[in-house]
Amino acid sequence: MSVMLTKFESKSNRVKGLAFHPTQPLLAASLHNGSVQLWNYRMGVLVDRFDEHDGPVRAVAFHPSRQLLCTGGDDYKIKVWDIRPQNRKCLFTLHGHLDYIRTVQFHHEMPWIISTSDDQTIRVWNSTSRNCIAILTGHSHYVMSAQFHPKEDLVVSASMDQTVRVWDISGLRKSTPNTAPGTFDTFDNFSTVKYVLEGHDRGVNYAMFHHTLPLIVSAADDRQIKIWRMSETKAWEVDSCRGHFNNVSAALFHPKHELIVSCGEDKTIRIWDLAKRTAVQTFRREHDRFWALAAHPELNLFAAGHDSGLIVFKLERERPAFAVYGDQVYYVRDKYVRAYDIGSGSDIGLLSVRKFGSPYIPPRTLSFNPAERAVLLTISSDNGLYELTALPKDAVGEVKDSSGDGKRGSGQSAIFVARNRLAILNKATQLIEVRDLSNSVIKTIKAPVQTNEIFYGGTASLILSSTASVVLYDIQQQKTLAEIATPPVKYSVWSADGALVALLSKHTITIASKNFSQHTLIHETIRIKSGAWDDSGVFIYSTLNHVKYTLSQGDHGVICTLDNPVYLTRVKGKTIHCLDRSARPRTITIDPTEFRFKLALMRNNYEEILYIIRTSNLLGQSIIAYLQQKGYPEIALHFVQDKSTRFDLAIECGNLDVALETARAVDRPDCWERLAQAALKQGNHKIVEKAYQQTKNFDRLSFLYLATGSTEKLTKMQKIAEARGDPMSRFHNALFTNDIPARIAVLRDVGLYPLAYLTAKTNGLEELALDILEVAGLSEADIDDVPSFGNSTLKPPPVINKTTDLNWPAVNDAENFFEKALANGALERDEPYVNGIDGAAAGSSALDDWAKDEEVQEDLPPEEGGWDLDADADEAEDQEQEQEQEAEEELGDGITPGVSETALWVRNSPFAGDHAAAGYFETAMQLLHRQFGVTNFAALKPLFLTVYRSSHAYLSPISSLPPLQLHLRRNPEESSPSRFLPVASRTIQSVRAELSDGFRLVSGNKLPEAKAVIRAALQALLLVSVSSDTEGKEWRDTVTLAREYILGVSIELERRRVVEQDPENVKRNLELAAYFTHCQMQPPHMQIALRSAMGNFSKANNHASAAKFARRLIDLNPDPKIVAQARQRVAAGDRNPRNAVEVAYDEFTDFEICAASFTPIYKGSPSVRCPYTDAAYLPEYKGHLDPLTELTEIGLGSSGLPAP
Amino acid sequence: MDSSELYHVKQQFILGAYKPLISLALPPESSPDYVPTLVYQARAHLALNDPSAALSLLPTDSEDVTIKATSSLAHYIAAATPPSDENSEAAEAALEELRDLIVEIEGDDLEASERDKWLVRVLAGTAFARSGEVEEALETLGLNEDNRASVEAVALIVQIFLSINRPDLARREYEKCKKWAEDDLLLQLIESTINLVTGKEGYSDCNSFYTEQLANPSLSSTKLLTARGVTRLLRGEVSEAKSDLEEAISQGGADGETVAAYAVAATLRPSKKGEGDEWWSKLTQEFPNHPLVNDVSEKAGLFDEAAAKFNVPSLPTVTV
Repeated sequence: MSVMLTKFESKSNRVKGLAFHPTQPLLAASLHNGSVQLWNYRMGVLVDRFDEHDGPVRAVAFHPSRQLLCTGGDDYKIKVWDIRPQNRKCLFTLHGHLDYIRTVQFHHEMPWIISTSDDQTIRVWNSTSRNCIAILTGHSHYVMSAQFHPKEDLVVSASMDQTVRVWDISGLRKSTPNTAPGTFDTFDNFSTVKYVLEGHDRGVNYAMFHHTLPLIVSAADDRQIKIWRMSETKAWEVDSCRGHFNNVSAALFHPKHELIVSCGEDKTIRIWDLAKRTAVQTFRREHDRFWALAAHPELNLFAAGHDSGLIVFKLERERPAFAVYGDQVYYVRDKYVRAYDIGSGSDIGLLSVRKFGSPYIPPRTLSFNPAERAVLLTISSDNGLYELTALPKDAVGEVKDSSGDGKRGSGQSAIFVARNRLAILNKATQLIEVRDLSNSVIKTIKAPVQTNEIFYGGTASLILSSTASVVLYDIQQQKTLAEIATPPVKYSVWSADGALVALLSKHTITIASKNFSQHTLIHETIRIKSGAWDDSGVFIYSTLNHVKYTLSQGDHGVICTLDNPVYLTRVKGKTIHCLDRSARPRTITIDPTEFRFKLALMRNNYEEILYIIRTSNLLGQSIIAYLQQKGYPEIALHFVQDKSTRFDLAIECGNLDVALETARAVDRPDCWERLAQAALKQGNHKIVEKAYQQTKNFDRLSFLYLATGSTEKLTKMQKIAEARGDPMSRFHNALFTNDIPARIAVLRDVGLYPLAYLTAKTNGLEELALDILEVAGLSEADIDDVPSFGNSTLKPPPVINKTTDLNWPAVNDAENFFEKALANGALERDEPYVNGIDGAAAGSSALDDWAKDEEVQEDLPPEEGGWDLDADADEAEDQEQEQEQEAEEELGDGITPGVSETALWVRNSPFAGDHAAAGYFETAMQLLHRQFGVTNFAALKPLFLTVYRSSHAYLSPISSLPPLQLHLRRNPEESSPSRFLPVASRTIQSVRAELSDGFRLVSGNKLPEAKAVIRAALQALLLVSVSSDTEGKEWRDTVTLAREYILGVSIELERRRVVEQDPENVKRNLELAAYFTHCQMQPPHMQIALRSAMGNFSKANNHASAAKFARRLIDLNPDPKIVAQARQRVAAGDRNPRNAVEVAYDEFTDFEICAASFTPIYKGSPSVRCPYTDAAYLPEYKGHLDPLTELTEIGLGSSGLPAP
Repeated sequence: MDSSELYHVKQQFILGAYKPLISLALPPESSPDYVPTLVYQARAHLALNDPSAALSLLPTDSEDVTIKATSSLAHYIAAATPPSDENSEAAEAALEELRDLIVEIEGDDLEASERDKWLVRVLAGTAFARSGEVEEALETLGLNEDNRASVEAVALIVQIFLSINRPDLARREYEKCKKWAEDDLLLQLIESTINLVTGKEGYSDCNSFYTEQLANPSLSSTKLLTARGVTRLLRGEVSEAKSDLEEAISQGGADGETVAAYAVAATLRPSKKGEGDEWWSKLTQEFPNHPLVNDVSEKAGLFDEAAAKFNVPSLPTVTV
């Protein structure tokens, strides 16, 4: 473990407590000066600080899943903070401790906070109720730390009283909610000390549970770290780690590996092997004592706080060594070389490299030689080593270790440069050795520049990474071919065809052609981690938090964000293959549309562009800006959904139709004005008119009508002006329409009698003129001094061309490839919107919009769109109301009720029971009618209602609103609405249970009751849904069984009736008794039938038949007493094999029993059936109600139980 | 930040601990908590469907908009339950009062905090939703307004959406709300309500929400027991549901919802024969206005109508 990589460092006052955020790159540090800092350690910035504690803050913890932080300070207060960026603030403060607070922690699932204090107590708080719910007492000195067990209801605490204690808090979880805050009487029931661990000679500073094993680690002022083990009943000391030479502040189990990390006042951080209890590594600091230590729960990250700040570090490099060849990724995980097949997903270990270099360090690089199937690994331990090993042909049996036949040497960088050559760099001597496969040196090269790393540079070439450049070096000629200035290059990735190489530095990517003749440089502010080439020649790379792409000319963009860094290995279509931080193969699905689109644009591949437009949901401001910037506003139009952007774009590329459509949607005056201007420029006066109408720009509208010669509309405008009471407008319109009386009327109305008079006069309207005079109270004499004017010739020019009906020839839309393709293609290819599978509706909806525009162009109402020009004043108001109504309707449209759950049930199920549960009784009846010929539903009513009411529950989560109807589903785990089904309130099992009740009644000789029960069961079976064929069969068997019983019971009841009412009719009595034995009942009931038949037949002296029944009875193995009785009958039958009464009973021919007349229907004779139970009837009963179930019509066709 | 007393009052209200809430002592009139607590108590009465108690609590001469809105809502509930023609005028008048209040709070000259204004909208929205004016309710509650600052309004919107089978829209509102009210108790309730309807992941979220709240030591609410019972019913854990509901009933929470849920549970898994029917008749007798009762009687009519469409043939006459 020679590596301790510092990721981040900060300077501050003494750090007393540290906590990692479980998911975000945040670290909370509590300081001795009372402040709590929130660092983003990935970006290296102080995100926020909280300064509400007085005095040192020692305790700090993040909530495992919520955005909460808890702190505790020497002011005895525990504070809980909201750490969401927009409202970071203290949510509440918990008071109760009587001395300094040492540690706090949130429980992983309950809303609990545990805190420890110098007041010798540990307290547990409920963060929802903000009450203290338990005080754990027992320690006799300061309690320095306490932590919950990660799974069990245990707490481990460490105290200055030299003990570590384990507490059982299971009582706390079980306890009934304590409603009255402040009553702490029952604390001792909540929690008990389970173990007291004694062994430290001084105060204990820290103790924690192992994440998975029953272990505890503790750190104490006796300079020791102790490991303890627990069982169910006891706990004992296992071992100590000695090495610190001053107080140990903290010791943690490594979350992933078998290591312990500790820090202390001796200014060291030490790493220990948990199994061997030996020191692995020590990290020393010059001046600062360490006080706090924290481990990230998931990542290989630790933080340590010291006298003057904190450091974040990791213990090992995470980047797995890997190489990609074709679809195979060769990589190292846990010191095993593994091969992962991208195609098949197989992932197998091939070679162990456990003995290569330090056991704690993974190899740094891996180079793969496909010809020899060999790997070349390097490791940074022992000042740099390499090892060449052939991989086994097939990974059968035990994986071998490379120490056997591996060839090793020292060197910092080693790669294969040819099938049988490897190059090894020795940084100290700056010599590059070329060796053959037997590891003997062939050639030695002196590096031409200071080289830190070497990469494969194409055939017989090397890329040398120097401090400020990369050099392409020819091994054969031993000369520099080219050089590019770059920051130090750390990794290189060749494209599949070997034409391009991407050189990755910390913050730059250089894409160079293979001879370095062309190159582009991309800067990234975030650290670049890895990269891989797409098959189409786009370079995909990952930074700390993004997956991005770059085209070879340097256009780049984000594909998706990452929570944690990954190392890309291969990009295939939409899938990125990568290794995660723990070197596990992963895939990420990406949307390659954006870069494919850009690539296609760059290559002018219009077909491809078109295809992408058609099939994908390419959207977003960036792509629109990109298209605008690259000069394709008309393409951009196809991607824009946002109406106002769409309007802007449409205006920009002069597409009036789209502009009109979007202006309607946006409906803002400025849009209409801009549209009017743009339309005016193109001479499309109809759209101008529309726009003016929308903005109520009456003056311009009138003038437009004048210009286009639309006299009728001018007349209408005049009326509107009148209605509006705008004399100026009226006058204008009168002028434009040359409507002299109207003009005079306006003038008169506004009291301009002189003008009115003159207008009338000059237009030869003498009478009117006189009229005006009279109104003005004058006579002709009074106006003698007015000179006399001749008749006016003023009038608007006549309309020569009916422009109003024509649109002037418009500026031709720049109809380009896309317009044409999109317009025609939809018709030609007949596969316009094929992206339904991805659910990528946006792209097609853009097209739909576009198609709509087309339609709108055709049926754009020429004039009356905006408001009715025939309208008088009232109607104009109506119009406004109408618009309001429209607005309301839109609101209404937004919230149309959705599909109810019950409708889904009905849609998803062919079973009547499910329809009944959904309350769709009518369809349920139709189903029953179709499937089973049911026509008499009256008896089913309670059943239907019960099924319905047991499928719904009501709950009102919000006060005073009507309760919500909730629907009970059959399978609560089901998440697809297309498989939602109602709860099965009647199941085959429940009905069978009812049936057995019926059978029991049969045994108890309560036949009428039995018949009712069985009939009810048959009714219930109609509402049972089955889910499989086996269940379907079971259902059918149940129905058949029930039918046999109900038939048998009916026969027996009939027999009893005959015996009672018609005792002379022995024949019928015997027949019915005999038929009863032919119902397929279970043996106990069959015995009853047979005994009854046997008895009746022998009583009637039909001994032969009685003997036959007796034999059948014996076959059923009844009670010995009954056997004896039966044997008597057999004997009697043998003695006297005759029948006194002739009965219609032929046991040798198969027969069924007509369930109406209870007479046999012999095999081959015609019969009709009950469509539900399949009971047989004589043909004459066709069309009647089935007497057994009283549900169905006999002989009706039916489809039977539907397939589930 | 609420004072912790008010916090508890609010918590009790949200979690349906209406009875304990009502029995709380009011803070002194001078306290800033006085009016909010009073309003919560009145609303608790309303939630228990006791508008007259709510009205007796509220001063009639108050200028406070929240009190005015609460009494209007109480008037509305009093007039509109059960819906009847005689009272429709009174109900409509109460709605008009609320509409006026909405207009009033939208004006600038009213001295009321944002929070009070939102409360008025919530109360008005409740009345509108009850009266079936879905669109008006949504508008009042500020659907499509970006600056919504009331989780309660969101809760109402969500339930309205759920009641018209639009869990998608409900979830959208919830997601929006989550951005600014992440840790709110009511928000968790909203989420669990949505999940009750959609059944996401086998109702596990709602189940754990109610379980967690049941373990909340600062209050006890039979409503939570009922809610968990219903959740368990939805999860198919009928006997567990029954035990929850039984406990709720034994603790005095025998309201319509609990009895209805128990009737369902008893029908699905009767512990003795006819238990379901027994509870059902209890429900129909004691809560004749429960929606399930109304619904089922409506369905019964439907059944007769549908059954009448089929011709029932006669039973065969047998002559042997």
